[in-house]
Amino acid sequence: MEEGERESESERRSAPSQTSDQQTTTETSRQTPETEEDDVETKLDISSDKFDPLLALYSPQVPLPFPNIRCFNNIAEYESFMKGGRGRAKPENVEKRLRKAQKGKADPERIERLKRLMVNNPVEEEGEGSGVKRQPRRRKAAKNVLTRMPLHTGSPLGELNRCVQEKIRVKVHIRTFKGLRGVCSGFVVAFDKFWNLAMVDVDETYREPLLGQALYHEKALTITRLFEKLKVQESVALSAVENQKSELHSSSSRLTNQTRRTDPRHTQERSEHSEKDKTTLKAAQQFKTKPKVEYGRVHTRHVNQLFIRGENILLVNLQLE
Amino acid sequence: MDIVSHSIRERTIAENSLVILLQGLHGQMTTVDLRDESTARGRIINVDAFMNIRLEKVLYRDRLGFMSSMDDLFITGRNVRYVHIPDHMNIIETIETQLAKIHCVRNFGARKEYSKNK
Repeated sequence: MEEGERESESERRSAPSQTSDQQTTTETSRQTPETEEDDVETKLDISSDKFDPLLALYSPQVPLPFPNIRCFNNIAEYESFMKGGRGRAKPENVEKRLRKAQKGKADPERIERLKRLMVNNPVEEEGEGSGVKRQPRRRKAAKNVLTRMPLHTGSPLGELNRCVQEKIRVKVHIRTFKGLRGVCSGFVVAFDKFWNLAMVDVDETYREPLLGQALYHEKALTITRLFEKLKVQESVALSAVENQKSELHSSSSRLTNQTRRTDPRHTQERSEHSEKDKTTLKAAQQFKTKPKVEYGRVHTRHVNQLFIRGENILLVNLQLE
Repeated sequence: MDIVSHSIRERTIAENSLVILLQGLHGQMTTVDLRDESTARGRIINVDAFMNIRLEKVLYRDRLGFMSSMDDLFITGRNVRYVHIPDHMNIIETIETQLAKIHCVRNFGARKEYSKNK
């Protein structure tokens, strides 16, 4: 406290050295006739030797060298003011203060601004108004699923992003509750951190899961085995169809014109052929009693646009050619 | 029909994941393949941030192959395996449209007279 006072005193002293001189001269001239008053005056004069602080605190009028000086409540305030903190007379702040002073008055500029913000047609005005307002303002970078896609460089998801950018065909292994279900081959259009994939031009090859004892005893399904099974199925179907055809040729006269509905579990090729053929009861029975792979058939299908939940993906394989 | 969710939390989750693509499919006729090998073909009423899907006028084929029809079906997000996206929909465009809707909603109440950085 004392140091501050001294500092402010020194400030005040440096400028008004003239006034204090004047005062001292007046004091000396007045001293003999009215000593008490002069005494009081000198005691109240901050720059004089006879300054009495107690008197100054309790006197009703104290001559301040700078009556219009800025007052601070404590030293800390003074310090921050000197350092140029908030509230310092920067040009922006001065303007702000002036604006606040004129708060009540109608400002045409302000009226224009407010008009622009008014919502006449909610959808239109919003878009226009917010669009205009946003351009000068610095915008925080938008973070959404599309902007997050290229952010994963260096990680496996970054590799997936490369597949998206370079349109590389990928093979996605899909899982069943235990093990491999099948493969989806296609192009990835979008992905996210959960490995959810949006794919186009998808060829899916999959096998329905085995149940019960079969699952327990069967060897784990792998991609090679999957496609082997598919081949085997196809060849079985082809051979069955060939057998059928030869039968038909030999016993064409005895055939009745019956077309049977196909079993939904058959593969596409098989169903095509069997729809065309005319079958006898005998042949139909052969179908039902003799299918080689009844459970766990391998299916193929094509889907133009597919969304895969990331939870079901085992791995993603690039198909570079 | 609520296009954008009312919860900020759900909006942010949707905004940062591919669920937003599914939310762009509101009103489309699609097939959802479930984890247990059953399929449901119907019109999407609503998809939320956790991928829970509500369908109407559903043809449900269970994993044993039996078909049944339902007026309303709710599928938990975790049970989804595939969602077939209709051929006529453009994936990137759908995502961008949905993101724009979220932006609109987010900036609705935040119009300011003066910009912050003058």
